Amino acid sequence: MKISINWLKQYLNIKLSPEKLIEEMNNIGLLVDHWEEQDGDVILELETYANRPDTLGHLGVAREIAACLGISLTERKFPLIESTEEISDAFDVQVLEVDLSPRYCGMIVKDFPVDPSPPWLMRMIRAMGLSPVNNVVDITNYVLFSTAQPIHAFDLNRLKGNKILVRKARKGEELKALTGDTISLTNEMLVIADDKRPVALAGVIGGEETAVTEETRNIFIESACFDPVSIRKTWKKIGIQTDASYRFERGTDISFPPEAARMTASLLTQIGGKALKGMIDIYPKPRKKKTVVLRHHRVSELLGIEIEEGFIIDFLKRIGFELENQREGIWRVKVPYFRVDIDREADLIEEIARFYGYDKIPSHIPVLQGIDLEVNKKKEVEDNIRELLFHEGFDEVVNFSFMDSEKEKLFETGLEAVEIRNPISSKASLLRTTLIEGLLGNIAWNVNRGAEGVHVFEIGNVFFQKDGKCFERYFLGFAGMGQLDPVFWQEEPEKSDFFHLKGTCEELLRYLKFDDFSFSREEHPFFEKNYSLCLRFKGEKIGNLGGVRESIVEAYSIQEPVWAAEINLGSLLEKQPKPFKYSPVSRYPGIVRDISFMADQDVSYQEIKNCIEKLNIPYLEDYVLYDRFVGEGISKDKVSLSFRFVFRHPERTLLAEEADSFQEKIIKTLSTEFRLNLRGGGQD
Amino acid sequence: MENIKNKIKVLKNNFDEGLVQIKDEESLKELRNRYLSRKKGRITLLLKELKNVSPGERPEIGKQINELKDYVQKKLEEHSKELQEPKYIKSKIDLTLPGKRRYRGAPHPILLYKKKIEQIFVLMGFSIEDGPEIETDYYNFGALNFPPHHPARDDWDTLYINDDLLLRTHTSPVQIRVMEKKKPPIRMINPGKVYRRETPDPTHIPMFFQVEGLVVDLGITFAHLKGTLECFLKALYNEKIKIRFRPSFFPFTEPSAEVDIVCTVCGGKDLNCRVCGGSGWIEILGAGMVDPQVLKNVNIDPEKYSGFAFGMGIDRTAMFSFRIPDLRNFYENDLRFIRQFS
Repeated sequence: MKISINWLKQYLNIKLSPEKLIEEMNNIGLLVDHWEEQDGDVILELETYANRPDTLGHLGVAREIAACLGISLTERKFPLIESTEEISDAFDVQVLEVDLSPRYCGMIVKDFPVDPSPPWLMRMIRAMGLSPVNNVVDITNYVLFSTAQPIHAFDLNRLKGNKILVRKARKGEELKALTGDTISLTNEMLVIADDKRPVALAGVIGGEETAVTEETRNIFIESACFDPVSIRKTWKKIGIQTDASYRFERGTDISFPPEAARMTASLLTQIGGKALKGMIDIYPKPRKKKTVVLRHHRVSELLGIEIEEGFIIDFLKRIGFELENQREGIWRVKVPYFRVDIDREADLIEEIARFYGYDKIPSHIPVLQGIDLEVNKKKEVEDNIRELLFHEGFDEVVNFSFMDSEKEKLFETGLEAVEIRNPISSKASLLRTTLIEGLLGNIAWNVNRGAEGVHVFEIGNVFFQKDGKCFERYFLGFAGMGQLDPVFWQEEPEKSDFFHLKGTCEELLRYLKFDDFSFSREEHPFFEKNYSLCLRFKGEKIGNLGGVRESIVEAYSIQEPVWAAEINLGSLLEKQPKPFKYSPVSRYPGIVRDISFMADQDVSYQEIKNCIEKLNIPYLEDYVLYDRFVGEGISKDKVSLSFRFVFRHPERTLLAEEADSFQEKIIKTLSTEFRLNLRGGGQD
Repeated sequence: MENIKNKIKVLKNNFDEGLVQIKDEESLKELRNRYLSRKKGRITLLLKELKNVSPGERPEIGKQINELKDYVQKKLEEHSKELQEPKYIKSKIDLTLPGKRRYRGAPHPILLYKKKIEQIFVLMGFSIEDGPEIETDYYNFGALNFPPHHPARDDWDTLYINDDLLLRTHTSPVQIRVMEKKKPPIRMINPGKVYRRETPDPTHIPMFFQVEGLVVDLGITFAHLKGTLECFLKALYNEKIKIRFRPSFFPFTEPSAEVDIVCTVCGGKDLNCRVCGGSGWIEILGAGMVDPQVLKNVNIDPEKYSGFAFGMGIDRTAMFSFRIPDLRNFYENDLRFIRQFS
């Protein structure tokens, strides 16, 4: 909110430079974002806090500065020019909703000349960033920005029946607001009504039909206190926030409406007209001041420094609190009405700290109490994954968790996406169901900017809903396309392909010590038919990998195949990795046997691998497929597969006969299970 | 007698001089013949002269000649090896040609920065906790002492899924979840993604990273909050960084503070600085003593225990540290940008 230094000077006798004043204000929590000189004045842009509505006017800000500087507020006088007519004879107010309108004050000024404001007032209104309207509207605004008490002025002659009712709106009632909008009222809304109809939405906005115009002569001044929650619900519903509702919803000083009404009437009558005698003040349930118990020892216990009793008493009094000593070091503190934020001892301790100065509180490192050391496993795995993927040449990205519904359709995830009720845009109306969508976007972005190869990964949550419940799952996605390494003059650069992607998956699981993984063929909505695998750990599905479907790749205008994988890290982390166990290195020579088979093309490597592992050959240290060949010299539907087996005994030299028998067993089993034939000359 | 001794010396010198000149196998062969040939080799001839030496001196002279012969043979052999092509590394090529490099991936700058922050707190004995991104109204607001229908909620512009579920606007709900489960002492940080209903511009984005922290124990004070955060900021920036604590407001802390550091760009010297707006300070952390109501909400007795909490935007802080002008740069995922952080 804007604060004018000239305006402050009506309450304070200060001669500080703006810089010095701003520093003092910052120290007590009145943060000035920036300031500028304007028409011989200095305007401060003050940060506002939801719990400090008392600082939403110059008086409140002045009160804080006065306390801080140890000076007193200048008392302002608001003399009235009164007529002999009594207000109680002329007008009637009935409050039907006392809970929503705990206090309602009214005054009347008659025979007032509505004109443009005098120059001093115009300057003040302009200082607040507003345009002057007329002397009535400007005076109500002046009172609001002075005291934080909203004032509404009605054209008295247009109020039917010389009467105001503060009541809830009735079904079907409407109000033509000052903004020109016609608002349909609902029966939770509090209205100000005359004998016939609502004339204002209480505390939010006035009605056009009873507004002050150039023809207005007689004015009804409303100065009230309304229930914050009711005001907030109303303005949220109609979508109109005003300077008045902004203050009422934060809470106003219930003791203040009479003073604000008198101030308004005084300012008006100084220009012209006369105020009727007396004031309407409907305050059926007067509130007592809140009392809070403050214990001296709690101040040092919370702040970490001893603050003298004298300081505490002095400063709390300066900002309007009344202290009553109950016992040694214990006070009953009465809270001034304008401090709606103070309810508890901790709130008072904050007040003490604020004025004591945060900079005077010392800095200590807490003594560490024993806490069970907990390694964050998720974090550890995440770090390992990142390490490995960096090594494999993947760059890390972070995409927004939002997804375009059009893209969601393209990916056909089969999941029901979580919808955001109030999205920023239609392109961000869903929560992502897959990480691959973002990664494809990243590939397209970089290819469009000249990248020859893009390999990226992201770790993050994906979201979906099922049976009305929302779920989030912790995923890893990675995708790659094009050149892998920097260009090298000696050879063509290598490009990523499916087996680069699969190798990364294999290395990743091995690195994380989830060695019991396997792959099986499975169709998947993102991936090209017959180019998609399911990744399993101990048989349970934990991910998918494959070549991204052409129609998707094309939608991103990418001209090359994209290889992608997505792994459910959440479910993987629930599994137990293989515990690390050291095994001694054998000092005895191993026996290597190379065996080549002819196999039908439809036999899968994974099946052969499973079969070999099931055999549980003793002393089989390792085996690897080192060649695969189709083509010349081999019949069309066949493939040649060459394996290298290494056998080794940990405690003695393995005998050739033993290796022979193992080899025999492998050949025999594979031949019967898969109709594999030994390839001539393949045997070593 | 002296004569033959002298001859041995001269011969050795001549051989050494000759050997240095040899650049190929052919000349080496000639040199060998010149000294060692069975008929006319110079050393062979010298040995023949031995018979003219007096029998008393003969063993001594003979020994010297044989030493010379061994020397020459050894030298010739060594030189021959030197002349041979190496077996493994042979080709002659311009070794200043570009090397063959393998590409190593780069971390995302925000996660790099997040890790840096986490490491400092881990060293200070904090645990790292996390929680869901879709939260309930209770964990995001209610438990944190936001009354329903309170305007304080407007400062946290929220993306809602339905009346009860929303995308968390801060990572504070994690603190509630941890305090519900664990008893003090608690010393934790909770980094993670948070969401706000903000249209992207250079200083606003709808999703960003935050790190928040919480300490709850017997006798925790505001002085501990100051000490801990100063220690952290000095580790993150440098020992000499200027830090300011000033009063502020958060529903979940009381007293509340905001922590500013002297502008990392202008050092507080430029009135037109785009980063600090000329104030010389940039706001870096929000903090405070945990509100007694928040402790009550998780059944921790505020008369017995106290605590402090703090939070900072990682993106914003990284933006200041790396002097990146626009927060949106972080989420374009342009590799020319990301790879600078490898």
